[in-house]
Amino acid sequence: MGNCLSGDVAGGKQAIGGVQQRPTSTTTNNAAQNDAVDFFFRSRGQYPLFSQIELSLSASNLIDRDIASKSDPMAVMYLRKKDGKLEEIGRTEVILNSLNPKWIEKITVSFQFETVQTLVFHVFDVDTRYHNVPVKTLKLKEQDYLGEATCVLSEVMTKPNRSMTINLHGNVGAGVTRKLGTLSLQAEETIASKTVVEMNLRSVNLDNKDLFSKSDPFLRISRLVENSIVVPVCKTEVVDNNLNPIWKPVCLTMQQFGSKDTPLLIECLDFNTSGNHELIGRTEKSIAELERLCHQREAINFVYPSTSHGRNKVLKGQLIVDHFVEKVQYSFLDYISSGFELNFMVAVDFTASNGDPRTPSSLHYNDPSGRLNSYQKAIMEVGEVIQFYDSDRRFPAWGFGGRTADGHVSHAFNLNGASFGDEVVGVEGIMSAYSNALTNVPLAGPTLFSHVVDKAAHTASQSLSQNSPKYFVLLIITDGVLTDMAGTIDALVRASDLPLSVLIVGVGNTDFTQMEFLDADKGRRLESSTGRVATRDIVQFVPMKEVHSGQVSVVQALLEELPGQFLSYVRCRNINPVGAPAI
Amino acid sequence: MIYLGRIDPLLYTTMTKTLEIDIRSAEGLKINRRLIKKKKTFAVARIGDKFRTSNLDDSGGSNPTWNYKSEMPMKGSVQFISIEVFYRTRCAREKKLGEAKIPAADFMGRYSHEGHLNFLSYRLRDEYGDKCGIVNVSIVVKPNSTETTMFEASSSSSEPPSIDGYCGRIVTGVPVWRLAS
Repeated sequence: MGNCLSGDVAGGKQAIGGVQQRPTSTTTNNAAQNDAVDFFFRSRGQYPLFSQIELSLSASNLIDRDIASKSDPMAVMYLRKKDGKLEEIGRTEVILNSLNPKWIEKITVSFQFETVQTLVFHVFDVDTRYHNVPVKTLKLKEQDYLGEATCVLSEVMTKPNRSMTINLHGNVGAGVTRKLGTLSLQAEETIASKTVVEMNLRSVNLDNKDLFSKSDPFLRISRLVENSIVVPVCKTEVVDNNLNPIWKPVCLTMQQFGSKDTPLLIECLDFNTSGNHELIGRTEKSIAELERLCHQREAINFVYPSTSHGRNKVLKGQLIVDHFVEKVQYSFLDYISSGFELNFMVAVDFTASNGDPRTPSSLHYNDPSGRLNSYQKAIMEVGEVIQFYDSDRRFPAWGFGGRTADGHVSHAFNLNGASFGDEVVGVEGIMSAYSNALTNVPLAGPTLFSHVVDKAAHTASQSLSQNSPKYFVLLIITDGVLTDMAGTIDALVRASDLPLSVLIVGVGNTDFTQMEFLDADKGRRLESSTGRVATRDIVQFVPMKEVHSGQVSVVQALLEELPGQFLSYVRCRNINPVGAPAI
Repeated sequence: MIYLGRIDPLLYTTMTKTLEIDIRSAEGLKINRRLIKKKKTFAVARIGDKFRTSNLDDSGGSNPTWNYKSEMPMKGSVQFISIEVFYRTRCAREKKLGEAKIPAADFMGRYSHEGHLNFLSYRLRDEYGDKCGIVNVSIVVKPNSTETTMFEASSSSSEPPSIDGYCGRIVTGVPVWRLAS
């Protein structure tokens, strides 16, 4: 409640939509597109029956939950799953002091023609600080609830203009049912594109709108959709007290600005902490025209819409484009198809917690009737995916937690039983090596991941010195509870700067909350005991029981974070697909 | 603070290397456990008694971006380089906010060879040992064209050290009575 007086002003002044994220962070708000999964299905002739839809949200007449100022609203979008539970898809940003917010951040969802997709929206008033805090780490329980609304995606898509307004309802604890306002959705199909435009904008000679100081200008760029519907695309940060502001570079993807000839509305506004920003001037230009302005070193004057004569007043204030660069952002598939190799490595849990392999209840049970046990099922399902992406089908395979021939417990022994050479060929190679190892290696303990992670990191770092374009993925198939969390975190942090991803597949019914902690999806970076923080999130956790209950396909679960982790590695090092021209 | 360490014999060298350090940014900077709002900050990279000071981050706040590249010579026997973050007070004095010590083994040797761009992040701790933020740096060890006395041949066939006998790893010990959890 500390910010209920005026809200987090610094948070309201930050740039939205045009900012290039930290290169090591993965993308947000995109529940639709996963290159790796699409490619896998398309190669089998299964073409996706969906299209990517981008939703822009706005609301009006929200209730005021803050005492001396207005609410700072944020909307969260959920998808209602078959069992009734809500799965969060994305969040908009927080807008300062506004009861009629028009959010800039879009949420992408895949519109599947044959299923009924129920979307649920919750609107919150954010009271905690949000300046420079990634929106997805904001805890919803700490915010004030402003209302919720439900709709079906196909309904939005079939309306004219693809837009719909729904009423907010809900229990806000006021005791009296008041009108909670309305929520409007605008749906658009997204364009898969790779072009990214970066511009340096500045202005001179702006009008002064503040009384005792100068204006605090910022730019808001919107796209004009058909029938004069305006969709905000991005806003720059606020420059205080300056009539000749220079803003930080704005980075827009073609998805945001449509095409190079789509007219964009650029408004220059004066920031007010009350939320009512005053318009200083506006202009309409397309990206192609802005590029021309930059190359010819021209400036464009802002106009102020005037109602009296019907003609707009041309102001002295001008917009200047200092720098204009068009870049190409390659996708995961561009890298793979250009020759970037994905190398998979497999590690199987041989600890005693699985149960004696001779008892039928054990996860390692060798059923004489030929039924596959949990591990074999997991290997088969996962193997299909990894065989597709690993072109040479040679996988290093290890076991951990078993007692090898020399009597010691080894935490990274070769599954094929050979002293040198840990590779097996194909999924059938993994299966036969696994069955052999089951008969030869007694189960022991404890469950330690750090040795196999270190081994995988060693392999990845060796390929670095050979300068070949390879990316490594370590698959750990385990039954559960990890004994040395600290050691594993240390090993993962050490490996976080390498071209490596770790996929942990959980079989059995144990409580996997520890693994969720390693997955670091809530935005917390892993920290080792030496004080080093992980450079990027390289872990992904897949519980097999969710796959088997039909909620998510194994392909989807395994490959969900892989393209993001891969791109975060190559983009921050400016590695291009093999043979592509350097930017 | 107590530091234990052994110099890994594989990396022992009398040669001086050039490091290109790029102090990129910091996150979550705190003074007295509260995020800073308006103070301007800058960072200093220090190896031994040589140091390089970055530019001042104008926008202030707890997530500054410096992108400050500098080159510094480093003797092979150095075990740590340290990154310190300072802030400017209203009286234009400079006070230290926190420090992070980067062990040389993190960017030389085991997982990174010369010329490799290492992206590293470290926890900053203030003079009392409390956590006060994270700093992001990138380090490249510039390959020297002159001869080195490094024992490189054995590094390719060495196995990763086992968890039982870490050799040459540098540990950071923080006295318990100083930490206020």
